[in-house]
Amino acid sequence: MAGIRCSELSDLAPAFVLGALAPAEMATVRAHLAACPEAHAEFEELGSVLPALLASVDQVEPSEALLGRILDAARADRTRTSTPATAPTRDIRSAPTFLDRLGLGSGRVRPVWAGLGIAAVLAVVVLGSLDLQLQASNQELAAYQRGVAAVIDAASRPGAQVAILAPSSPSSQAAGIAAVRPDGTVAIAIRGLAPTSGSQVYEAWLVAANGKTVPIGGIQVGGTGSGTLVATNATPSPGVTVTLTLEPGPGATTPTLPLIASGAAQIRPG
Amino acid sequence: MNELRPTVSGEPREGLSDPDRETLDRIVAGELDALEGLYERYRTMAYSIALRITAEPATAEDVVQEAFLGAWRNARRHVLMRGSVKTWLLSIVHHRAIDAVRRRRPTSEFPEPDAPTALPPALTMPDVWRSVVEGLDREALGRAMATISSVQRDALEMAYFGGLTQVEIANRLGVPLGTVKSRMRLGLLGLRRALVGPDGGYAVIDPPGPHGG
Repeated sequence: MAGIRCSELSDLAPAFVLGALAPAEMATVRAHLAACPEAHAEFEELGSVLPALLASVDQVEPSEALLGRILDAARADRTRTSTPATAPTRDIRSAPTFLDRLGLGSGRVRPVWAGLGIAAVLAVVVLGSLDLQLQASNQELAAYQRGVAAVIDAASRPGAQVAILAPSSPSSQAAGIAAVRPDGTVAIAIRGLAPTSGSQVYEAWLVAANGKTVPIGGIQVGGTGSGTLVATNATPSPGVTVTLTLEPGPGATTPTLPLIASGAAQIRPG
Repeated sequence: MNELRPTVSGEPREGLSDPDRETLDRIVAGELDALEGLYERYRTMAYSIALRITAEPATAEDVVQEAFLGAWRNARRHVLMRGSVKTWLLSIVHHRAIDAVRRRRPTSEFPEPDAPTALPPALTMPDVWRSVVEGLDREALGRAMATISSVQRDALEMAYFGGLTQVEIANRLGVPLGTVKSRMRLGLLGLRRALVGPDGGYAVIDPPGPHGG
């Protein structure tokens, strides 16, 4: 898991929350936190006082001219690019089936997401955390949110492919989202997973268009059925499919049934 | 004290009726007025943080400009993440200001600047603004800062406002790395104790009870 063990993380926690590690160490810790099923609550604990540090600085007013500069720059930005002002609007209800599967009618989707395409679906997965929040421990919710953040981050990279993971069988409630970066990073956030028993593990796979199937990592399920994964060694290819199976044990090299959730990855629109 | 949960503070927990959220939604729609509104709300905090870190008014204003422009461009992404707008905005300011001071330090381990609109790395600042600071006056914050030792405070400030890594701090102070690590840890925990109640609830920094004194 990105080259660092859970037990080594505590030593780095204070410097990490302060941003006081070398870049490579920062990245290592971040990758571990995004992928790790452990809560690592210490990070929240230590980081929770940073706003107080920021608020403790002496308050000074900027010059009057700054607002004008910012608005000018924003205005210029708006005319130069198509975002955010002129993004085409598209009806969120163009994806009713998926929303319905997630148990979220389009009525709960705020209009601001119209036009976001795949990103709107991401938002639904994020929104799903509201349900979790009612029942999950803070740690689990935090782990899930980190996973979702990792997906959003990966999905926002140029050339990233995004897959909506829909339940693969009537008995599966699992739905989620995966982002595949051109550099081989795969981030997955999924919810609605049934608890595992014994040594069972959910395993994620990349299935290439030619059928070649490669395991990308196991997903541990929290008490509320959510799970996340960030893998870094995948080989992405156009039209790849992201699939989740329930395996009898970790380390499977070919998928066995049952298929839990699956989705074809696409280059994100816009 | 148990009623004093994080939700009592200024920003609603999930922001469904949060004015910042409404502002952000309007920014996503491309409304310059909304950007102006966000600026008016946070310009002082944003500029103060930038100035504290960069120590140069011109650089600090550049940082604030970049941060608000970044907010303008990336509002859509933030809408999806649903965190506190204030935390997000001020962490962009912090991040960009630290970038600026690291760039001008010749021996820095951080040579390459981020893209102008890059978001701060996730998780360097948890989304807890609403829970700890909202509603506390500056005097109370000052009292909290005064509860930790000066060497602990120095370590926190060298890292968080100076942009130094823990290794750089150790070198500069001529103390072992482990000493710096423990000062940072104890400083953060001490501040937290001063800001957070023993039951994990918040907002107990002010003297409790019916103000006998």
